[in-house]
Amino acid sequence: MSQSQTWTDTGIAELILLLREEVATGMESIVALNMATPCTAAVASTYADPADTATHHTDSGLAIQAIDTVAGDTVNTAGDTILFDHVFTATATKNVAGIHVCNNDDDVAFIECCFNAVLPMESTDTCTIDGQSTIEQA
Amino acid sequence: MADSVNTKGFMRTKVTGEHRLGFCEKCGTKTEKEFYMDGNRKRVHMTCPSCGGQGKLIAKTYSVQPPTPPQCLRMSCLWGFFKDTLFCALLSNYHARRVAYAEANRNKTILERYRTGEPSPKNIWQCIHANVKLACPICRKYNGGTK
Repeated sequence: MSQSQTWTDTGIAELILLLREEVATGMESIVALNMATPCTAAVASTYADPADTATHHTDSGLAIQAIDTVAGDTVNTAGDTILFDHVFTATATKNVAGIHVCNNDDDVAFIECCFNAVLPMESTDTCTIDGQSTIEQA
Repeated sequence: MADSVNTKGFMRTKVTGEHRLGFCEKCGTKTEKEFYMDGNRKRVHMTCPSCGGQGKLIAKTYSVQPPTPPQCLRMSCLWGFFKDTLFCALLSNYHARRVAYAEANRNKTILERYRTGEPSPKNIWQCIHANVKLACPICRKYNGGTK
């Protein structure tokens, strides 16, 4: 299974709400996905229903938490990219199949990523996430 | 252009996940979260408070980007798209198997390229070679050839 990552439909809807200055919040949180086998990221995934049979970790250092750093960047046109970095530190043996990058209200997943393979993390293991998303013109 | 087809803009997302042990590879001290500046960008990583080292890398995952859709209907464009698609599939397969192999051998000595993913295959032939080599228990112990 190859690594897959995508903006979700609900993530795009949240982004549009932000553009319309409606009630919405920006990219602030991140959570690790729990699944024993590799998952496949899907646009139809939601915060409440991640890819395949994946669920959110709820403890052991992998539960939803504030993203360590979020920044803007330029790839093609000025300011067209958002960057996010985060380090998870596991406090127990857990499988990490991927991540959800979420809004500040912790109710919308902007980006879903399913890793190349499941990362079987043991206590004190760390997983450093380096993410980048660019809006490209036609 | 009369023979062009429309493509659309999209959101291109890349994510890497770097799985490391929580203790420094050099001195065994527990690593701690450290913020640092990479140019103008504030970043974060885990470093050893004693020597500045990092935990042993177990595996690093990579995003493989899908090929750009063909921009015209000429055979050269379609053939190029076909080759890019095949390369993408083979490269995805290699990185998926590489990460699974590295994770399964977290406490063993294996070739560093299977942990870091670098150098990554650059063309279809190198992908085929790398996949065959990864599947062979004897071949994958030796660091010879292009992949």
